[in-house]
Amino acid sequence: MTLEWRNRVLVVIALGLAALYLFPLYWMYVTSLKTGSDIFATPPDFLPRDAKWGNYGYVWTSRGMASYMWNSIVIASGTTALTALLGTGCAYVLARYRNGWIDVALFLVLMLQVLPASLMITPIFVGFSQVGLLDTPRLAVILALTAKTMPFFVVLVRATFMSVPAELEEAALVDGNSRIGAFFSIALPLARNGILVSAILIFMQAFGEYVYSKSIIQSPTLQPASVGLNSFMGPNTFEWNNIMAYAAIYVTPILAVFVLLQRRIVAGLTSGALK
Amino acid sequence: MSDELQIELIDVDKHYGAFHALKAVNLSIRKGQFVALVGPSGCGKSTLLRSLAGLETITAGTLKIAGEVMNAVPPRKRDVAMVFQSYALYPHMRVIDNLTYSMRLKRAPRSQSEAAAKEVAATTGLEKLLDRYPRELSGGQRQRVAMGRAIIRHPKAFLFDEPLSNLDAALRVHMRKEIRSLHDRLGATSVYVTHDQIEAMTMADHIVVMRDGVIEQQGAPLELYDRPSTRFVGGFIGSPAMNFVEAVVAEDRRTLVIEDLGSVPLPGGIMLGAGETVTAGLRPEHLEISAGDGPGLHAKVDFVEFTGAASFVITRGAPGLTVFNVGRTTLRPDEAVRLTIAAENVHLFDRETGRRLGA
Repeated sequence: MTLEWRNRVLVVIALGLAALYLFPLYWMYVTSLKTGSDIFATPPDFLPRDAKWGNYGYVWTSRGMASYMWNSIVIASGTTALTALLGTGCAYVLARYRNGWIDVALFLVLMLQVLPASLMITPIFVGFSQVGLLDTPRLAVILALTAKTMPFFVVLVRATFMSVPAELEEAALVDGNSRIGAFFSIALPLARNGILVSAILIFMQAFGEYVYSKSIIQSPTLQPASVGLNSFMGPNTFEWNNIMAYAAIYVTPILAVFVLLQRRIVAGLTSGALK
Repeated sequence: MSDELQIELIDVDKHYGAFHALKAVNLSIRKGQFVALVGPSGCGKSTLLRSLAGLETITAGTLKIAGEVMNAVPPRKRDVAMVFQSYALYPHMRVIDNLTYSMRLKRAPRSQSEAAAKEVAATTGLEKLLDRYPRELSGGQRQRVAMGRAIIRHPKAFLFDEPLSNLDAALRVHMRKEIRSLHDRLGATSVYVTHDQIEAMTMADHIVVMRDGVIEQQGAPLELYDRPSTRFVGGFIGSPAMNFVEAVVAEDRRTLVIEDLGSVPLPGGIMLGAGETVTAGLRPEHLEISAGDGPGLHAKVDFVEFTGAASFVITRGAPGLTVFNVGRTTLRPDEAVRLTIAAENVHLFDRETGRRLGA
C-alpha cells in the first residue's frame, strides 16, 4: 500500500469515528425539532419534516429554564473565578520552585484529580452540613467544584508558567521590580493565554456539572440546568422532543464558545508541552 | 579610571546544597574598570555575576557595591544593570517600553522617560525600532535593546552575561568594539562574563580567570598572556592553545630534554636540579621553524592548516605540537622540521600542582 493510500484510509477511519462520536449531538438537534409523533416514526427521519421551532420557546417557559440557566451560570462563573484566583498563584509557585516539597505537592495535586466526584460527595456533604454551608447551597457547590477543578487547572497553568523563561523575571528584578511586581508585570501577562484557556475549560466543566449540584442543592429554584434536565426525565417520559430542545438550549452556548475559541484552546493546551 | 573601588568581594563563598560554586573569592573592581570573568562552563563565573546582581545570595563573605555591603540587599536596590545571554527582553512590550521599564517602576514622568528612551535609542541605533516588538527584531537589534535597557539606568555597574554568544561571528566582532567604546563613553564600571578568551583579551582592562569556583589568576590581559601563573591559565589564554610537554632538566642545567623530540633552552633564574621533571608550556606563536641541523625539537609534520594570513603546522607524536607560522608555509605532511624557541618564551609549571615555576 502506498503512503498516499494509507493516509486516505486513515482519514476515512477518522471521519467515521468523528461521525459516530458526533451522531448523538446531531440526533439531539434533529429530535428537538420534531413533533411528538415524528419521534417514534419507523424508519426514523434524519431530517425533520417540518421543523417545530416552537419546541424551544415552549420548553423555556414551561420548565422555567431561565432560573436553571442562571444558576448554571452563577455556579460555573463562581467556580471559574475562584479556581483561577487561587490556582494561578499555586501553579506559579509549583512552576518556579524545585525541591522535594514541591514534588510532594505536585503528587498530591495529581492524586486529587484521580478521586471521582461520586466518592467525594458524601464526606463533602457531611462536612458542609456541619459548618452550615448547606444554607447557601450554590456557594457550597462552588466550593466543592473548585476543589475538584483545581488540580486540572493547576497542572495546565503550571505548564504555561514553565514556558515563561525565568530570566525575564530576573531581568525585571534587576530593573528595579519586586518579586510580586515581576510576577504581575511579566509572568502573568505572558501566561495570560494559558490561564484564559484553562479557565474556559473549567467553565465548561462546571457548567455541565451534575453530581455535586444534585446532592447539595435541594430547592429547585437554586438548581442548575443539569439537575433541571434530570428532573424533566421520569420513568414514563415520552416528550423526547422537548427534552432534546432543553438539552440543545443548555449545550449550544457552551458549544459555540468552544467552536469560536477552539484554535486558541488547542494552542494553549500544547504551548506548555512543546518547548 | 579612578582609584575608587566600585565592587569589592571579600572571601565570598557560595554553596548550592553540597556543591561549592564559589570558594573564597576575593576581587576588587575600580570605578570605570572593564573586568572580564573567563573560564570554562561551570567554573562559577556566572554564579559570581548573578551574586553581584543579587539574583543569588552568597553563603559567606562580604559583597560591597560602591562601599556599601550588599549581601542581603534585593536586586532592585543594588542599582546595577544586567544584560542577559538570552537578552531577556519583555516579549509583550514594545522596544520603547522595554527601555523605559525601569523608569516606569520609579514612576518617572512620561515625558522624562520618553526623552531618555530617545537618547538611548540614538546611542544604540534603535531610533526607528522603538514601536516594534522584540519578536520583530533581528538578533543584533535585540542585543542593542538589551544594552539600551541597561544604559538608560545609569547604574553603578553593568553586568554582562555572555551577551554576544548568540550572535554570528562577524556581528560579534563588531559588537565587541561597540560595547567597549560605549563603556568608555559612559565612564561605566563593567563586569563581563564570557567563555571566549579572545573577547576577554580584546575588551577588558582586567581579566579574572576562574576554574572550579576559584580565581586562578587575575591581571591585565598581556600580563596573563606573558606570565600565566598556572598551567590552566597558560592553556586558557592565547589561541591556538599553548603546547604542553613533559621536560627533564639536563645535566648542564641549561637545557630541558623533551623525550622523542629534542631539547629547548632552560629559562634563567629558575632553581631546578638536574634530572627534575617539569611541564613546559610552549606557545605555538613562539615556536620557530628553523633551517639546517642544530639543537631544538625535531618532529615530522602531520598536517598543515591555512587560515589565509597564517598557517598552523601540527606535528606528529604523542604530544603533537601546534606551530603558528605567519604567512604560507611550504611544509608538507611527513616533512621533518626543526623547531626552536627563545629561553624567555619557555613557561615552566610544576608537574603536580600546575603552578608556575620561576619568575
